[in-house]
Amino acid sequence: MEKLLAIAKANSDKVEIFSLEQTINLVKFENSKLKNIECKVQSGISLRLIKDGKLGFSYTKNLISREELLQNALDSLKGGVEATFDFPHTKDLPRLSTYDPSIENISNKNFLDECNRVCKKLSSKTKGQINVSAGSAIDKLRIINSSGTDVLLSTSNYFFHNTILYPNSYAAIHRMLYLKKFEKSPDEYLHFVLDTYNRSLKKVNPKGGKMKVLFMPETMYVLMWRLLSATSGKDVYQKQSPVAEKIGEKIFDEKITIYDDPLNDKMPNARSFDDEGTPCRYLPIIEKGRLKNFYYDLHYSKKMNTKPTGHGYKSAMWGGDTVFLKPTPSLEHLHIKPGTKSFSELIKLMDKGIVVAGALGAHSGNIQNGDFSIGLSPGLYVDNGEIVGHVKDAMIAGNIYNAMKNVIDIEDTCYPVSAGTFPAIIFDNISVATRK
Amino acid sequence: MFDLLKSMLSKTDSKYADLRYEIKKEIKIIFNGKELTQIGSNLTDGYVLRILKNGGLSSVAFTKGIDAEKAIRTAEMNAVLVSENIEEPIRFAKADVVKDTFSPKLEEDPRRISIDEKLELTRKYNNLPLKYEKIATTNIGYMEVIREKYFVNTEGSEIREDLITTRINGLITSRDGNLIQNVRAGTGGSNGFAILRNAQEEFEKKTSIALQLLKAKPVEAGVHNVILNPSLAGVFTHEAFGHFSEADLIEDNPTMRKKMKINAKLGSDILSIIDDPTMPNQLGFYKYDDEGVMARPTQLLKNGVLVGRLHSRRSAAAFREQLSGHCIAQDYRYAPIIRMGNIYIEPDTNTFDDLLATMGNGLYILDAKGGQTSGENFTFGAQYGYIVKNSKLGKMVRDINMSGNLYKTLQNIAVIGSDLVLSKIGGCGKGQLNIRSCHGAPHVFIKNVIIGGV
Repeated sequence: MEKLLAIAKANSDKVEIFSLEQTINLVKFENSKLKNIECKVQSGISLRLIKDGKLGFSYTKNLISREELLQNALDSLKGGVEATFDFPHTKDLPRLSTYDPSIENISNKNFLDECNRVCKKLSSKTKGQINVSAGSAIDKLRIINSSGTDVLLSTSNYFFHNTILYPNSYAAIHRMLYLKKFEKSPDEYLHFVLDTYNRSLKKVNPKGGKMKVLFMPETMYVLMWRLLSATSGKDVYQKQSPVAEKIGEKIFDEKITIYDDPLNDKMPNARSFDDEGTPCRYLPIIEKGRLKNFYYDLHYSKKMNTKPTGHGYKSAMWGGDTVFLKPTPSLEHLHIKPGTKSFSELIKLMDKGIVVAGALGAHSGNIQNGDFSIGLSPGLYVDNGEIVGHVKDAMIAGNIYNAMKNVIDIEDTCYPVSAGTFPAIIFDNISVATRK
Repeated sequence: MFDLLKSMLSKTDSKYADLRYEIKKEIKIIFNGKELTQIGSNLTDGYVLRILKNGGLSSVAFTKGIDAEKAIRTAEMNAVLVSENIEEPIRFAKADVVKDTFSPKLEEDPRRISIDEKLELTRKYNNLPLKYEKIATTNIGYMEVIREKYFVNTEGSEIREDLITTRINGLITSRDGNLIQNVRAGTGGSNGFAILRNAQEEFEKKTSIALQLLKAKPVEAGVHNVILNPSLAGVFTHEAFGHFSEADLIEDNPTMRKKMKINAKLGSDILSIIDDPTMPNQLGFYKYDDEGVMARPTQLLKNGVLVGRLHSRRSAAAFREQLSGHCIAQDYRYAPIIRMGNIYIEPDTNTFDDLLATMGNGLYILDAKGGQTSGENFTFGAQYGYIVKNSKLGKMVRDINMSGNLYKTLQNIAVIGSDLVLSKIGGCGKGQLNIRSCHGAPHVFIKNVIIGGV
């Protein structure tokens, strides 16, 4: 990498090299039976350089030829992508605990045994189909640049997915465990999925209309995707954010506080620097309903004449290989502040309404405008303060700027899910379309 | 290259193994509004190894050639672990041994066209919407993906095939005050660069729709009779039905497998669906899948009756059904899984006016905006639509998302048009992305569909 930095520096004004090595192991069970064991060992390097205010970018998996990688980056300069920013000089970062060496002693046999144990435990207590998977990811990331930054990060992740499926479909109750090291799934975690499934086994077809709707942590991404789009420095710069002019204004109910917390190393994947080497920090997005901040990478912070917030990540909505992507503003450590009531207290408080346990089509609809219109996969029907069954052939729809003003209450615990760490939230007055 | 791959594979004594090496060349040019935000040409590569040992199957994807022997040991170990923990050993259906090199016929090879010309064409299309004051921004890009694939297996197959995909597409965003609307626009294919030329009309038409949507009213939630245009009916075919023709999705889901039995009557008598990756010049075209099996046209539904399924060698053996050649990987980072190629509803003889006349009142909804399925239930969005009254098209409506039960909806397909259109841009995510996923249909009239509204 140092050699590449040297030859790239000789050909340009500023240089950044990003290198990632990843090892992923995954064991999958379907219908309580082993289906697959997979392994991936991947590595790659990307190069960004700036010359005369223009950006060059290239990447490769195998660094067979440094010259070719450099030439690809130099060729892309000709396109004239503007780069007015500089690569940061980052040092004295806080030390975070992101790597648990015990992960090295865990094998696929351990994952397999854990999947078997969970399937055995659950299958005697439910008629539903049980799908589980367990796996680990070990990442080694290094970023060096011509401003003198040389930062390194090793992370270890262990994840376990527990899913119970409703008949004739992939609609399911599911919950994820996400840790820095391998641990057996605690009983209360398994019990929640089992109990919620068993209570909702009956198929019901309630009448539609406006009603109370609870989003589980697992479906909160439907609402968060809309907020992420509206508060990204990129969308603000491109004039496609409906809240671009609303910093300091109350846009949500005062019970809602949403923040990004990359430095919290109790969670896996904590970060002291982003994918551009910018130091990370705690960033409130919504505080007691008020819009506090937008989030930026190097490029869009310069465009908007503000400071980068340390949110330049090489990530995309549909995944993709980190190394191949250009950094864009992204909230990778999103949290919603919990409330004070347990999940069962929330159900009681709700009295009557729909729980969104699974969502279909969250990526369709007018995301920038804050609109959502999703299929329930499934919805759970609550009557007299109890879950009485599940609803499938139905939709809910709304707009986050209305829904988030009508918050009834928030769960007291947060769970790691695909887009962040969230509690369940009840909203009032959401439109539900059913066949009745 | 074959000799190197064969020497790597010679290090295993397992019953079956295959190794795929790919070089992937990618060109990306992206505009956000007037600004060019990315341009570049890159080359990446990697290996995927699969081993079938003692009735256990496992895969390892790796980057560096020097890791081949380690990958073989890991895959063997995992395959044995699988074999010790499953009841029925995994078998592969018998496939022909193939030695072939295949390059598709192209109308203008994109490799012979300069990146400057690609940039200028993309800029030209991107500038069309930006002329209008109420177009807030665009996100339009050129994408070229060339996969040079080398496949060998221990049965003696040696296949080299190139897959070349190009497209110019993206999003046009309009804005009036706080109201933001967007529409997808684009063109592309698997048969060369020529298909990208002369697409001004597409970008102009979609710009006009994005502007009209600012004045359209949200659709009313409820149960509606609807006519889907070919693009939307194609997504329905892919999402709601197609995925459950993929044997791996239902193999270990007993309740769905029971519903998807061969000879089950699933749809109305007029409905026939086929998946045919061998259709030349279509986006989903290929000759061999990523298990080295030659693709074949597969009738899935005939007059409403389930008659076939899409298979890998593993699932064909498990179901005791015919091989179909539908096991495809995104690239060198993934083991192949079962995917659709070109799936479509076979056309009937009715005109669009016939469909309007039969429906009378309802909605005409157009162009897909993402879809998803969870078995018997599906949801997908339409980019825009029109209210239909007394068989006449009326005002434009927006915010259309439809949802339904697969089996009821297949029965509710009442009239099928004659105007089959296949998609030019793909992107199906089933754990891995398939940019060549192609679907199509004629106009289709469906009764009683749930529309979510806002």
